[in-house]
Amino acid sequence: MLRESSQQTGALSSLDLQGTVNPEADTGVPHGNLLTAFAEAAVHQTDALPGLREQIVAELGVQELVDAAGVVANFQRMVRIADGCGIPLDEFTKDATDDCREELGLHEYASAANTA
Amino acid sequence: MPFEYADIDLPIRDATISSHRMSWEVIASPGRWWTGAERVEIARVGRAARDFDAVRSEMLPESAAYAIQKLVVDNANLNRDWYQEIISSEGMTEDRYIELVAVVVHALSIDEFHRALDLDLEPLPDPLPGQPSQIRPPEAEQRYSWPAIVPKGGLNPGDEMLYGPMQWGANVISALSLIPENVRWLHDLSEGHYLSFKEMRMPDPLRAISRPQIELIAARVSSLNECFY
Repeated sequence: MLRESSQQTGALSSLDLQGTVNPEADTGVPHGNLLTAFAEAAVHQTDALPGLREQIVAELGVQELVDAAGVVANFQRMVRIADGCGIPLDEFTKDATDDCREELGLHEYASAANTA
Repeated sequence: MPFEYADIDLPIRDATISSHRMSWEVIASPGRWWTGAERVEIARVGRAARDFDAVRSEMLPESAAYAIQKLVVDNANLNRDWYQEIISSEGMTEDRYIELVAVVVHALSIDEFHRALDLDLEPLPDPLPGQPSQIRPPEAEQRYSWPAIVPKGGLNPGDEMLYGPMQWGANVISALSLIPENVRWLHDLSEGHYLSFKEMRMPDPLRAISRPQIELIAARVSSLNECFY
């Protein structure tokens, strides 16, 4: 979805998907590292979370913070539906992500055995 | 009324508030296989698990409390054997498991929204009286995921479009459809937190962050949870 949306919007000159698995990598998405740091702090409820909230408000805005929190909350739900039901990849996802799943190391996840 | 958000200085969207209120009503109401009291208890145990409190319940079967804990804090390590063990244990069935998963993950999502914004968690709703309907959709069929799912024709009237053009829906959208009401619930909370199913097909939906920013957060959360799907 990230790659597809980047292509559709045409907003990015390049996209490095490593940023989805490696917090040090820069995806090329504007403010991407800040948003992924916020996501990680929210998922793990770390001490960095208050400062990252302030930083998002300062650099992006308060509605942006609320919307980012919503996305985190949504995918904390969706991953558990996928994991709890052992759903396989949809055919259209399988075709679209063949080239990057290996590169990102997704096959090493325990859940890969359930959904591959 | 729950989810007033009256004393906070954050622009919570109307769709978010209405989806939270709807979720609390759904949790409090009798389902197909659990009473309202049991459903609220499922949400309570899930909340305790996320807070790393002891997860004991005098109301739920022991395996239900165990399943809730695994779904909340160890979801990356679930597998088919575990699933089969859970639905075969005393007091559990495939149908009861799916209803339990729906309550756990929707309640957790709302709590996670609050935690991410440093908001107090909403008190859980008071359960509503009544008995579970115990109706399993006759259209339910075993497909590719562990539990059976229902096709478009088995959804509640008016919900058919939630599967889009697909007879069985995208796998994650139909995953909880053994309880058909879950498909509508999944959609409405998606709209409140992320995007409606219709907006998912738009390259630039009306949100304060761009679609690539939205999908980057989504991908990072999935990665942190080691979710292959």
